[in-house]
Amino acid sequence: MSRGLTATGIEVAFGGVHALRGVDVAVEPGKVAGLIGRNGSGKTTLFNCITGFVRPTAGRTTVDGVDVTSLPPDRVVKHGIARTFQTPRVDPRATVLSAVLCGFYSRVGASFVGSLLGVPGAWREEQRLHRRAEPILERLGLAELRGREVGQLSMGLIRLVEVARCLASGARFVLLDEPAAGLTAAEQERLAEQVRAVAASGVGVLIVEHNIGLVRSLCDTATALETGRVLCAGTPEAVVRDERVMRSYLGAIGDLAATEAAA
Amino acid sequence: MSFPGQRYLGPRPNTLIIAVCVLVALPVVLTRPVWTDSAVVLGVYALLGLSVGISYGQAGILTMSQGAFAAIGGYAAAILTTRFGWPPYADLLVAMALPAALAYGVARLVTRLSPLATALATLALGSVIEILIRNADALTGGYIGLAGIPSVGAINTPAGYACLAWGMIVVTVFLYENLMCSAYGRALNVLRVDQARARADGIDVPALMSAGFAVSAAVAGAAGWLYAHYISFLSPESLDTHISISALLMAVIGGAGYILGPIVGTLLFDGLTRLMPAAELQGFFYGAALIIILLAARTGILGLLAGLARRLRRPDATPAPRAANLSPQESLP
Amino acid sequence: MLAIAEYVVRGALSGAIYALLAVPMSLMFVTVRTIDFAVGAYALIAAAVCWSVGGALGLAAGLGAAMACAAFMAIIFLALKRLGCEDHIIYALASFGLATALASLVLWWWGTQAFVRDAFSDPWSVGGIRLAPQGVINFALILLLVGALHLLIQHTSLGRMMRAAAANQTGAALASIPVQGIQVGTYLAGGLLGGLAGLLVLYSAGLDFTAPLGLTLSGFGAAIIFGIGSPLRGFFGGLAMGIAQALAAGYASAMVAGMVPFLFVLLVLTTSRFGEEALAGGRP
Ligand SMILES: Nc1ncnc2c1ncn2[C@@H]1O[C@H](COP(=O)(O)OP(=O)(O)OP(=O)(O)O)[C@@H](O)[C@H]1O
Ligand SMILES: [Mg+2]
Repeated sequence: MSRGLTATGIEVAFGGVHALRGVDVAVEPGKVAGLIGRNGSGKTTLFNCITGFVRPTAGRTTVDGVDVTSLPPDRVVKHGIARTFQTPRVDPRATVLSAVLCGFYSRVGASFVGSLLGVPGAWREEQRLHRRAEPILERLGLAELRGREVGQLSMGLIRLVEVARCLASGARFVLLDEPAAGLTAAEQERLAEQVRAVAASGVGVLIVEHNIGLVRSLCDTATALETGRVLCAGTPEAVVRDERVMRSYLGAIGDLAATEAAA
Repeated sequence: MSFPGQRYLGPRPNTLIIAVCVLVALPVVLTRPVWTDSAVVLGVYALLGLSVGISYGQAGILTMSQGAFAAIGGYAAAILTTRFGWPPYADLLVAMALPAALAYGVARLVTRLSPLATALATLALGSVIEILIRNADALTGGYIGLAGIPSVGAINTPAGYACLAWGMIVVTVFLYENLMCSAYGRALNVLRVDQARARADGIDVPALMSAGFAVSAAVAGAAGWLYAHYISFLSPESLDTHISISALLMAVIGGAGYILGPIVGTLLFDGLTRLMPAAELQGFFYGAALIIILLAARTGILGLLAGLARRLRRPDATPAPRAANLSPQESLP
Repeated sequence: MLAIAEYVVRGALSGAIYALLAVPMSLMFVTVRTIDFAVGAYALIAAAVCWSVGGALGLAAGLGAAMACAAFMAIIFLALKRLGCEDHIIYALASFGLATALASLVLWWWGTQAFVRDAFSDPWSVGGIRLAPQGVINFALILLLVGALHLLIQHTSLGRMMRAAAANQTGAALASIPVQGIQVGTYLAGGLLGGLAGLLVLYSAGLDFTAPLGLTLSGFGAAIIFGIGSPLRGFFGGLAMGIAQALAAGYASAMVAGMVPFLFVLLVLTTSRFGEEALAGGRP
């Protein structure tokens, strides 16, 4: 079967609100797929649907050919899908290291009782997890901060920690919900670098992003949603320049994009 | 600095602290009979407080049934030893397993609810258990209770019980800290703060919460076992809702999210009780102390101290600005 | 046959008290999304003060004392909010502390005695069923009150604001609805209704310092049986609980009757989807 994460014909309704009406997206390993669309267009709902938080009324989600459509969230993770949330809600006292360690949960072999009793196997595994967290922290440039409390970090760093946590779960596909929101331009650039590095290691990334410049420079493909429908999909360049996308999504900043295009 | 057992206790600071404190304080306490007796009773309370810490501080289940779990443990011990002639060590297992199984079963049914609903369910559960114990005359002796519970093997002096009680506390803290230093302990903290994040991490939220609650009930059961054997008499008034409430208040005041918080709370409470003019006013002081601590330091005494220590270490560090996103509860120290 | 009818009628009459206590529970749960554990304690305070003062003045003094305690709870709530506490369980915990403190105060001042007063000595007999006159009065009074509250919530602008604040606090605040004021008002209403319940209990079954937690839990149980959304449902929930209790006392034992409120709470919580986290809808 086909490699990659695919969602086809996804439909989601909340009572009378049709949040998604037949949406298709695909993420290939090692590629970055962008998801754009104005507020309320259904981006987060699509994430919730892929990760099992909401059940679609129609449609299928597959990972490398395996159907994961109606699995609960904690089972979806085991198929290699990890996600971040649009508004991270963190335990302020947890350290960066322990937040990343949380990501390993789905791969822990020690049993609950074994951990409680502190059997040698559980001890060794705990030490192994600490060692395995290091390269992940390293890769995202968080190694220096490993002992800092998450509550003391800037939002940009918290979002990076969340990305690190996704990688720890051994995910082959990560879904990032507006990871760049509220970051400074420099932080955004740094985040983009990390995301590129993550993708280069073979992980497929689906990213919700409002910054068109970032979508253009970061993504390999892009999908634009409007009121629960796919408006347009293809290369970021094509999607961003699509007239319907400009009219629907860019709205106020459409003019800006137009002047930029003219230049 | 190095010390024997460093490899095991080094990464377990709380266990180390409590072990050292017990080793230093116990010989002093044992010099006076009054202190010795208090040490046993305080030990029972501290165990109950620890059980609240595991349940509320870590798993986020505000429990009001720890007294009932302790009663189950105590009555299991009393009935097995007086009626069926079990040796008084063997009954500890049953005294822990029975409340744990009950807690797990009920928690599986109610932990998918909001934390508030779960708290009410534990309150209702505790009340039902209490009424059942009061009325199951044939088994529990009803209002009269059960007398003549044998002492635990060779331990038959208050001093022996004091050592047993505080030994049990050290072991409990060690196991508790093991749990909190593992993936499951971290997962408990995640699900307390954000259940959606927990599920996205791959955590089976109801199952893990129930497991945490079962551990907490087992600790409460052990406290009841200790109480029954020490006092050698058990009646429905021995371990009732009143005990559940004080255990909860002690844990919150000391700092439920900190492993040693409930123990600090227990010791403090005891001091408070001794200063009290009238026994009837106990509840008043407990309630007032709870309200004051919630207003002044929601994370308990240890939370307050940890905050001060943080400020001393990093004077420039401002409190986190995004208060709305942050959990109001503290996690591990 | 007559026995059953008598149990049902008697249960309905005593269940009216639960129905009354259910009202502040459901109001509180809907507008503040928490529980005021002290409602039972307001009832105890009202009963104790009224018992001591006596007469019509006693009724007023009892209600006033209950309201004062509720006002104190409202102040604690506001202070917690000011301090940035968003955790609803903390509000509940604070009210729990207040309930403990109040019950202890009553124990200290009045001792372990039961507070009970009899306004009527002879029971009425209607069609062969003996009825306590006070029970009938309680029932009628509570029915009137709950009916009036229902109308207030469904058909007045105050009720509309309350419902709006309950449905969406942020949205309501943006629409310049005084959400915080409504929440404080809900706490005060808890004092008023809890105090009233205490007075009615004083003149019927009586109560002592151990009663508060049971009263709170009974009110909560009554509020959730048919869904916590409205006082009218709480009213029928209270009747159902009272009838179940009376039948249990008649046909099973006093023990089962004593357990009925707690069993109701456990049963409803374990079987319904009450208060289930909104995880089904994911989160943004
Ligand atoms: N749990 C829910 N219940 C009811 N409606 C919902 C729910 N979740 C989302 N919706 C609705 O579905 C639609 C899509 O919402 P969604 O959060 O997916 O948008 P979005 O594209 O992520 O927007 P934003 O850019 O603001 O994050 C909106 O109309 C929203 O109101
Ligand atoms: Mg969104």
